[in-house]
Amino acid sequence: MNVVEQLLQILLSPTIIIPLIFPGLLTTFLVIIFIAWFERKLTAKVQLRYGPLYVLKSLGGLPQLVADLLKFLFTEIIIPKGSDKKAFILSPIFLFTLSMLPVVAIPLSNSYAAFFSDLSLLLVLALLTITPIFMLLLGWSSNNKFSFIGSLRDGYLMMAYEIPMFVSILAMAVAYDTLDLVQVVGRQSSGLWGIALNPLAAITFFVAMLMTTARFPFDVAEAESELVIGPYTEYSGIIFVLCLGASYAKLSVLSLFFAEVFLGGWNPLIWPLTLNPILPGVAVFVKGLLVMGLCVFMRSIYPRFRIDQVLKLGWHTLFVLSVASVALSLGIVWVLGF
Amino acid sequence: MSEEQTLELLIGPQHPGSGHMRLVAEMDGDVILNFEPNIGYVHRAVEKIAETKTYVQIIPLVERTSLPDTANHNLGYVLALERLLGIDAPLRAQYLRILLAEINRIHSHLYGMGIHGNMIGSTTMLMWAFGDREPFIELAQRLTGARLSYSYIIPGGVRRDLPQDFRNDALKALSYMERRLKDYDRIFVHNPVTLARLKGVGVINRIDAARIGVVGPNLRASGIAYDVRKIEPYCIYPDLDFEVVVRDEGDAHARLLVRIGEIEQSISMIRQILGKIPDGSILADRYLDLVPSRTRFEKRSSVKFPALFSGLKPSKGEAVSRVEASRGELFHYLVSDGSTHPYRFRIVTPSFKNLIAFKHALLGQKLADIPAVYGSLDYFPPEADR
Repeated sequence: MNVVEQLLQILLSPTIIIPLIFPGLLTTFLVIIFIAWFERKLTAKVQLRYGPLYVLKSLGGLPQLVADLLKFLFTEIIIPKGSDKKAFILSPIFLFTLSMLPVVAIPLSNSYAAFFSDLSLLLVLALLTITPIFMLLLGWSSNNKFSFIGSLRDGYLMMAYEIPMFVSILAMAVAYDTLDLVQVVGRQSSGLWGIALNPLAAITFFVAMLMTTARFPFDVAEAESELVIGPYTEYSGIIFVLCLGASYAKLSVLSLFFAEVFLGGWNPLIWPLTLNPILPGVAVFVKGLLVMGLCVFMRSIYPRFRIDQVLKLGWHTLFVLSVASVALSLGIVWVLGF
Repeated sequence: MSEEQTLELLIGPQHPGSGHMRLVAEMDGDVILNFEPNIGYVHRAVEKIAETKTYVQIIPLVERTSLPDTANHNLGYVLALERLLGIDAPLRAQYLRILLAEINRIHSHLYGMGIHGNMIGSTTMLMWAFGDREPFIELAQRLTGARLSYSYIIPGGVRRDLPQDFRNDALKALSYMERRLKDYDRIFVHNPVTLARLKGVGVINRIDAARIGVVGPNLRASGIAYDVRKIEPYCIYPDLDFEVVVRDEGDAHARLLVRIGEIEQSISMIRQILGKIPDGSILADRYLDLVPSRTRFEKRSSVKFPALFSGLKPSKGEAVSRVEASRGELFHYLVSDGSTHPYRFRIVTPSFKNLIAFKHALLGQKLADIPAVYGSLDYFPPEADR
């Protein structure tokens, strides 16, 4: 019995339960199912269609993605002859894992996080910056011109979004005077959320977030009419799902992050309610889902930019905006004396 | 030792953005150095097959060259055939012909706009445009009985008369389309991303457009007011009041705007036709006498093909016709040796003439401009390949 108890203790310890269950893999999986369904349903609504319908009609086709996943699971995985096999198989796995990983550093209440750090604000972003490397590897190992161009475009995109993203978060760090996400949420308990405190940084981060997760209008790396499906052209079966899942996982992680930094995290819940991580966790997820919903809604409004236009937007507009947001933060600190 | 500096990109025929052809692009980084559309993947030898068929059997055949634009292809062929036979359609039939041709022009332009939207990533435009084709396809179905391949225009007239409730429904569809054009304007035509993608992309200037022989809306977007409906009017176009939509920019966005302008013109033309369509017969008197039961025909107001049509024998000679199809000037050439089959049949389709614009408009552009320009030319591979 002792062994079982010990096993349970290990399984129920925050270091396991957080990355695997809440808010980790399982919850992210559910969130992805929901957001993919929501994206398709919302786009369908705009475009005067039905969208997913027949998989559990009573739920409006909600488990459509599960059905798609099952289909992909039984699809043969084709590995092209000329590809670099190890890199071809491993890079989607790393890509997905690294896209998921930052979730460990995102606290869902004062005391609920897998990994406490007073640098968690930086840690989340730093972990996400590793993913483009695997994207490049993925495109290179496929030995296909479209994959190669797609992954190069992804690399270029990174140059457009990464610096504005970091600088806009720097602005928030200056305004809150901390790099710890728990404290960041604590600073917003007054009711003045980050989005109201520094709207410039919020806009910059939101646009950079769209670029990171390849949402429209920044879908340049996967541009279907140009590059088939960009870096993933040669992929099939379950590893293709990992590639696609990576961008949704990234979207989910970044939306939670956005909810914590700009939308007050688990505020306005106060002390006795935040003891149990479930209620504040749900609050953060609801805010995160709103952000995700807004991100996926862009698909029905915008066409796709050209890569050079995205780069221009990144350097000419976003970068300037992010620097201005730092100045705004400095001004706020100087005036309000935070 | 010299290293390879350029990348040869083979786009298609198995590619979501290529259509039924292979695009060979020589890339230097993101810039297109050389561009070669490789066509012929959907060549069906329409001209040769036509030599083995009787004249009436060719009507459905020429429609197959361009399924989004069947009425105009049908009209072009029948005009050439009528010149060979030396007959004219009665006025009411001519009105009905142009009614169908303009309905067809609207839904063909919507088809092109939808594909264009999808090519630069606006799936909303694709769905909206394809959804809004539906009222016009429905109208055409009321009129002709078929959704796309109408085979409505026959030598000497048309197959069916205007249905009872057609006028009101048509006017409803037209005002619906006018409302929807405003929606398109907001979501796609003047969307900032669309403007960024299409303004100044794939420019064909006035002189080049004339030199390389681009036709249709693509030519008019380069500032040349050339429209067969004005230059060499056929059927009832002289009686209709319409403008030739011209823009001077010559870029992909101008081509899009010209198409939208033409949809507006077609809407006004259909209104005029519905307003002043005269009463009368829908088939030339020469054939009317041969219709099996004349009274039954007048009651049902549709034409059952007289047996004579299967053995239609034009006298020896040749005839040409020019019509303005949705994608540009369509040319039919028909040679008869006095038998029941044409001796030679030749179609010069607008898409084939516009093909050269690819090569011209894409040099020096970026890779991502290929679909943007492709869509703006409204190129339809089966029409070019025939």
